[in-house]
Amino acid sequence: MVTQDDILNTLRTIDDPEMPISIVDLGLVEKIELQPSSPACMDVRVKILPTFVGCTALPMIENEIRRCVSALPGVTSVEVQSTYSPPWSVDRITPSGRESLRRYGVTVPEAGEENVGQPPSCPFCGSATVRQESAFGPTRCRMIWYCESCRHPFEHLKRLATTGLIDLSLQRLPETR
Amino acid sequence: MDKLPNELKQPLVELLLSVADDKFILGHRNADWTGLAPILEEDIAFSSLSQDEISHAIAIYQIAAGLVGSTADKLAYARKPDEYLCAELVELSDEFNWAIAVCRNFFCDHHDYLRLGRLAHSSYVPLAQLAGRLVAEEQIHVQHVDMLLKRLGHGDTESRERMQSALDRLAPLATGLLEPTQGIELLEAKGVYPRIEPAMFERWTEDLRHVAEASELKLQLQAPRAEAIGGRRGRHSDAFASLLDELTEVYRLEPEAAW
Ligand SMILES: [Zn+2]
Repeated sequence: MVTQDDILNTLRTIDDPEMPISIVDLGLVEKIELQPSSPACMDVRVKILPTFVGCTALPMIENEIRRCVSALPGVTSVEVQSTYSPPWSVDRITPSGRESLRRYGVTVPEAGEENVGQPPSCPFCGSATVRQESAFGPTRCRMIWYCESCRHPFEHLKRLATTGLIDLSLQRLPETR
Repeated sequence: MDKLPNELKQPLVELLLSVADDKFILGHRNADWTGLAPILEEDIAFSSLSQDEISHAIAIYQIAAGLVGSTADKLAYARKPDEYLCAELVELSDEFNWAIAVCRNFFCDHHDYLRLGRLAHSSYVPLAQLAGRLVAEEQIHVQHVDMLLKRLGHGDTESRERMQSALDRLAPLATGLLEPTQGIELLEAKGVYPRIEPAMFERWTEDLRHVAEASELKLQLQAPRAEAIGGRRGRHSDAFASLLDELTEVYRLEPEAAW
């Protein structure tokens, strides 16, 4: 009988099409659901979270998931659903995922609200003398930074706010802050 | 709510089309700068902004398409000009005037940020979830365009003058962004498009003025006349039909093709 772990292990073999990191380490996989379709077989549903709205890599990833999971013995059907709830965030990237991205020259913002806006250290030499070159980059989820110490450009993932963007009412009670 | 009551469908579709059409057309206008922006960083930025806007538009068209039984492609490419609900500001050619391009994004991004921020609080759950992501991405646009405005406003005399004249030229058109779509009051009353306090024009003007002042630029905006009818009712500039022609040319070659 196919299990959640079997499926998760299969998903670990699927890399993001644009970076050397598995979709599991990238934190794209939100949920794996199994429904018995016959005594020995399962219908599988995989819920994934897009990094950015309309990310062009998503259809490729969905296809790969369908292809790899349906090849497992005991799987009758595979459905891939993408959802914005909960929102994907760089905080979902695992430590080993961060490490493999760093080796590739891509840094990830430190997890946690207290680290918002903290500059990265250079992925090549570890220097903190870095500056943002552009708030945009080669894909929609990355920006371009530059290391003043080893003079290498590198990429840094964008952190999107996940809460509290717009107050519907700006009328605050007097003296509550 | 997960399912939308029938009487809210048409008003919501019009609102969604106005948001998506603005983004779709603005994205195409911004894409004109790919390879031509004044500096490499802005070339990357404007290409990325375009990709964002068009991706946002597709995601919003998808929700609208679900409500009317159509597809995102058909909504994007197969409507008549007077069925598009974008504002005149996004239709305008910037004639490769960088100041116009920047100022247009300045008005549009701040407006989108508020509009998407409201939708992120929508009582219609699928829309609120999507808009929550869109507004977070839009925040990056706002930060970027504000930075550009400040830099160019604090540039030399020529740079400041060009920016000032672009703001002056676009300001009367920009308020067309706030023209309401039909049935918007119903959406507001049901919390599908929650009201904002202070109201849209004030919030938007306040945000813009704040940045303009920090950029040593002057900004005069007149509240739009309630009876003014424009893009949100399908009335467009003369240039719009030919813009649309150009933009849908490839689609019309083979409407059912999968890309
Ligand atoms: Zn370095």
